[in-house]
Amino acid sequence: MTVGESQALTAESREQPMTALEHAGGPTLTEAPELDMTEEGIDALDGPFTTRQLLRLDEALRVADQQTGLTFSVYIGDLEEPVRQSAETLHRQLEGAASSVLVAVSPNQRVLEIVTGSEARKRVSDRDAKLAALSMAAAFAGGDLAGGVLAGLDQLASHAGRH
Amino acid sequence: MISVRYHWNRRLGALRLSIFSTILVYAIIPVGVIVVVAALSLSGSSRARPARRYRPGRPYDFKPIWFLASPAQVSPAFRAAPAIEAGVIEDSSGAQVRPGPTGGASDRW
Repeated sequence: MTVGESQALTAESREQPMTALEHAGGPTLTEAPELDMTEEGIDALDGPFTTRQLLRLDEALRVADQQTGLTFSVYIGDLEEPVRQSAETLHRQLEGAASSVLVAVSPNQRVLEIVTGSEARKRVSDRDAKLAALSMAAAFAGGDLAGGVLAGLDQLASHAGRH
Repeated sequence: MISVRYHWNRRLGALRLSIFSTILVYAIIPVGVIVVVAALSLSGSSRARPARRYRPGRPYDFKPIWFLASPAQVSPAFRAAPAIEAGVIEDSSGAQVRPGPTGGASDRW
């Protein structure tokens, strides 16, 4: 079997390409990073965060989830009135809502809500959540959206402790 | 020893400047430099994106974003289904069932 034949075989049997490159000679990931991104990822780049801030946010969420075993998620956008109920509705949409923590930030309404599920509440008390909310609000009031979210996630995760 | 010789019919450099080269050196070239610098600065400011950041008191008109760490890396329990889109539990009358008391905190700024 020649090299070309074996390559053709492996190319056929491979269901999913190993990289985001469609064909040889196409653009590299450095030239066209959107090839490796989902639609949501491209939307996130249009948001208020720089790429560096998005990477730090991703890292913070991943580390928080791994260390605590809880599911942390951050929602940034408008919340319907009443704000608390709409944040709790978002929280209920999460898989494993009992052990997840939602940080909902509405910059237009200048409101932030931290919702902890029934299991997560045993790890992150309401007082701990309020402390994180205070530091987040302080950062948001200074216009630092990403820094506030990062600080809040860090505090919530350290209060929850390791699992 | 430096010796400076002038040819009898050669005049000094400054006296040899014609009107055209005087205008070129003292008017056209400086104006050209100014125009180039102004064009560069104007094109730079028009190319700049509108400030993509949140400032308190200014309207925030971005799409809502929901960040979630990659669930498959967190726990094998989440491997089957994505963590978002679990749906809302409803009882027979269609009212939403609260899975349990939720806690948390709120704040304003």
